[in-house]
Amino acid sequence: MSDIKSILQESQHPLFSRESMFSKEFPSDYRQIRYFTLMIVQKAPPEIKEINLLEQQISEIIKNAVKHGNHSDPQKKIRVWYSFSTEEARLIVEDEGDGFTAIDEWNAFNKERLACLAQEDYIKLADYVSYRTEKSDDNDGGNAMFAAVEYWNEGVVFDDKGSCVAVGKRFPKKRPGIELS
Amino acid sequence: MELKIRKSSDIYIIDVNGEMDLYNSYKLKELVMKMLEKKIQKIVINLESVEYIDSSGIGALIYICSTIKKLGLKLLITNVRGSVKKVIELTKLMGYFPITGNVIEAVRELTD
Repeated sequence: MSDIKSILQESQHPLFSRESMFSKEFPSDYRQIRYFTLMIVQKAPPEIKEINLLEQQISEIIKNAVKHGNHSDPQKKIRVWYSFSTEEARLIVEDEGDGFTAIDEWNAFNKERLACLAQEDYIKLADYVSYRTEKSDDNDGGNAMFAAVEYWNEGVVFDDKGSCVAVGKRFPKKRPGIELS
Repeated sequence: MELKIRKSSDIYIIDVNGEMDLYNSYKLKELVMKMLEKKIQKIVINLESVEYIDSSGIGALIYICSTIKKLGLKLLITNVRGSVKKVIELTKLMGYFPITGNVIEAVRELTD
């Protein structure tokens, strides 16, 4: 597998299968993003929560949909599908926006960023620590998707329109224990 | 999130307490920018009591770090651990941030 992880765009990707997934719908209320996330992550078994890393990663995907997808327009909703087991976490988030259309640009930016890191060129890296567009504001860290492509090891995939994203992470199997009577 | 400032000679230590998330990370950024306006030259950001950080929190640290680097001033970030460390590792910025173990080490490092 290539070390350079990227965002994919493929509506037919298996991560878009909604079979056996729970779903919820939320208004695009920026103030409630972490609350919505907690409503979802409470279904996850503690083994995969990694303190609050799973919550944090889900919150970023929901934030992107509410803020960048729906521009926090209260008339627009986001729909979330999710499933958790001790071995896998999956999430699909759909917004009602125009779609993330800069996927190629983002991947090219991330490739440059990873090249700076590989060469330990921290001076040049300063230009690549944060992905920003003319729509970014001061509260946008510009780094959420860098972490997302590392964390979601089954992929970060957008549909062809760019307004629905599916992510998945597989967790290492725990060694089977011996049951004592 | 709560921010407290302590001082050790000319070194200012900011103890961050709570969650550095999308709702409050800007406060740390604003505080540091005010300190820079007051010509403070040596800052330690102590993350010992930070339980949660997201991309906004990482973004605030990036902004602070790059501003201080550009000005040629001194910054150290201490007690990076637990889920904060994991999130920074995911962004691969452990080598970019000036991280040192704890506040005592940071003060020693920044003392002329």
